[in-house]
Amino acid sequence: MNQVASNTFYINGSGSVTTEPETIKKIPGNKAVWVAIFAELSEFAVFFIAYFIAKAHSPIEFEQGPLQLNTLAGTLNTFALITSSYFVAKALAAIRLNEPDRSIRYLSFAVFCGACYLVVKYWEYHWNVDHGIHANTNSFFSMYYYMTFNHLIHVTWASCSLLWAISQIKVGNYTQERHIGLTAIACYWHMVDLAWVIIFPLLYVLR
Amino acid sequence: MKMKLNKLDVTWLILLVITMLNALVAETAEPHLVITTIICFSIAYKGRRIIDYFMELNQANQTIRRLMRSYFYIFPALIFLTDVFSEQLAALTTF
Repeated sequence: MNQVASNTFYINGSGSVTTEPETIKKIPGNKAVWVAIFAELSEFAVFFIAYFIAKAHSPIEFEQGPLQLNTLAGTLNTFALITSSYFVAKALAAIRLNEPDRSIRYLSFAVFCGACYLVVKYWEYHWNVDHGIHANTNSFFSMYYYMTFNHLIHVTWASCSLLWAISQIKVGNYTQERHIGLTAIACYWHMVDLAWVIIFPLLYVLR
Repeated sequence: MKMKLNKLDVTWLILLVITMLNALVAETAEPHLVITTIICFSIAYKGRRIIDYFMELNQANQTIRRLMRSYFYIFPALIFLTDVFSEQLAALTTF
């Protein structure tokens, strides 16, 4: 048994983080994925700043806008993303315990949550059209469509990366000893979740 | 059988509860600076929980941890400040 496998693992809360051999004082995953994560977060930062400026210029539209949106859809999507992040973290814990089948199962649940997000978003966009809400209705809805559609694209390709991770576990490329790729994909998925943590209150809650 | 929750389970439950409270605020509360403050704290807290426990940056590389955590200090603060100083921001960005 190699060094990593013989250490006491930090199983996402089952033990002490100080015994986690993978992440302590290290970059989780690889440097490339963190460049991508910070690039994506910078992109979302620009959206948020644009939102602040637009809101300052059109306070009435931004006060009334959230009332017209479907809060249930926004809340369900938040549940879907948080739950998917939870399953991705569990999948990483499972691969560290040398339980690839359980890891695949958790990743499949995460993909299912991602699919639920896409279905809810599709329903929400249809609901919007039925209620006369379009991208050119006013500046609030322009921001809403710009941010949510961009986020939707991120969820789509991040879901594809989860499917890729499942395939890599199945063929034995991600194992207990070697799963940096899975860690990188997990970090990217959590970033997508983090972006929504800000988007949801900005569009659905704050007025 | 006794159910044992680890930090991941607890984090997931906390995030769901905060989301439900946010949704309740969206449906019932009138716009007020106190509400904005509460929402800003909830964003910061949710971000921190995800960064520390889902992303596992709690004890990871210091630079990455600080950058990620700072994102969830800066943006909640900006949300609050742009709400308080919205007129000044509008004036500042009018050409």
